Amino acid sequence: MSHASNAIATPSPLKQWWLKWRFHLNILLLLVPLGFMPKYFADQKLFRGESGLGATPIENIAVGPWSISLAELRAEAPRQDGPAGYFKVFNAALCATCGSEVKAAYLRIGKPRSLRAAGTIFFGNPHRMATSLPVPERTRGDAELWITLEGWDGSMHQASVPLAKASPATLAWLDKQGGKK
Amino acid sequence: MAQQSKKSKSRLWFLIHSWLALPIWFFVLIVCVTGTLAVVSQEIVWLANPDVRASKPDDAAERLSFQQVLDALKKAEPDMAVRFISQPDGSHFALNVAVTYPDGTAPTLYVNPYTGAIQGKSPDFNFEGFTRALHGWWLVPFTNGYSWGWYLVSLLGLPMLASLVTGLVVYKKFWKGFFKPVLRFNHGARIFWGDFHRLSGIWSIWFIAVISITGTWFLIQAILGDNHITISTEPITPVIAREDVPLSDSREPVARIDLDQATLIATTNIPGLDVTFAQLPSNAYGHIYLGGRGWYPLMFQTASVNPYTRNVDASFLVGDRSALEFVTESMRPLHTGDFGGLAIKLIWAFFGLVLSMMVLSGLLIWTKRTAQATAAALKRADKPPRQRKVSQETTTEVQS
Repeated sequence: MSHASNAIATPSPLKQWWLKWRFHLNILLLLVPLGFMPKYFADQKLFRGESGLGATPIENIAVGPWSISLAELRAEAPRQDGPAGYFKVFNAALCATCGSEVKAAYLRIGKPRSLRAAGTIFFGNPHRMATSLPVPERTRGDAELWITLEGWDGSMHQASVPLAKASPATLAWLDKQGGKK
Repeated sequence: MAQQSKKSKSRLWFLIHSWLALPIWFFVLIVCVTGTLAVVSQEIVWLANPDVRASKPDDAAERLSFQQVLDALKKAEPDMAVRFISQPDGSHFALNVAVTYPDGTAPTLYVNPYTGAIQGKSPDFNFEGFTRALHGWWLVPFTNGYSWGWYLVSLLGLPMLASLVTGLVVYKKFWKGFFKPVLRFNHGARIFWGDFHRLSGIWSIWFIAVISITGTWFLIQAILGDNHITISTEPITPVIAREDVPLSDSREPVARIDLDQATLIATTNIPGLDVTFAQLPSNAYGHIYLGGRGWYPLMFQTASVNPYTRNVDASFLVGDRSALEFVTESMRPLHTGDFGGLAIKLIWAFFGLVLSMMVLSGLLIWTKRTAQATAAALKRADKPPRQRKVSQETTTEVQS
């Protein structure tokens, strides 16, 4: 070990390894976009609406005189948005003939007491609209997802679907949350 | 002694310079090349795809207003919903109109600004989007806050800045290179690439500084964003109050003002507002959101017009920005070069190419020289350290 300071003569195994493999970092880095490319193009397709409304679609839910199709954007657990909590994006499409009569569509976990508390409003247009639904961590597994449609004439109609049906992934996530507490 | 110490110090700087990007040189090169492509991606698409060109039917033809375009689209596709319409920077580009068809597909249409005719729709492979995604976040998806690919790429701003600084330190009297450019072709590859690296380096000082500083800003932006810290003073426009939206006597929607009326209201209320894009209300309680480049071309000015009350409910103008925002909001356009039309883009693309070549030439020089220099320096490290005078402020930081 008296020659240990002479790094040239006896490089440490770690250094040898680094010298041998350092340029392979480039290959590792190049594998990243290659690996994500299918996901990128699948997402592009999803955003262009070419993969349908979304995951686990529920077609033509009757809401008063109208009907609406609902789907989660992705079959996955709600995503956290910092301190604001967890959110789940849902897409919806109104029936072909009711698009002009419906003024607004809302989504809420649990039955709204009034139109003012109808939940989050959908943005978009009758063919495809989206909303980001807050999902409290304490939501019960048997919770219902309530859809409120408001007509231009002031009428209001409601319907509900089980959250477990609209988003099985959210249910699984809720079960896990419950397990933690 | 001092002379020798100075020399070894500059050798150390030189080694730092040489090693900054080396193990990941190919990654850096691809980021530079994709960035260069992204700058002119719109122009490349313009060359490749006739659909995105604004061809004039005849000399007398005049540009349609946004509402006239909407009317033409309504006629052509009565069931289609329009979300957004914009005139890209440059009158040679067709209008971009984001639409949704009844089947839920949501492409961007290229619409002739003179006739309102649909010339085509965005292809499945979006070249502009792809080059930007590859350059900007290495295609790593955004799942929770910023993608880690964004961090990976924006982190490169730091070694790039360090390369610039160390490069200028080791290139003694670099300013002389401006007056006496040297590019020797007949002395072998090493000499040529060395000259090339230095020559393109000094002419790119401003560009490397701009790109690395703005690139580092993207890193800061992500850190701020992921920690939910905002420096924006842009007002959050609340949705239109329920009582401001009149009830309809029938089942049909209440009449709302059209895009031309909204544009007129906005430009009358806000002198100097240029409207090059319009977003249609995204539901019954939404505003018509209009805007365009401000007098300071690196920033956009916007206005939200209430389609029922005809009021401008919110606006965000160049003068509304805080001093800090003036700096931070300028970062992105300075990075991408899309603030002064084609000329600026071409300058950015040219220097982007030069920067890519600097990475390549740097590598070529390294393979021929730095390996030996490093071996020599390591040998010297065995000798006892010399005393030295602090002769240059640039060399003081290296002592450890």
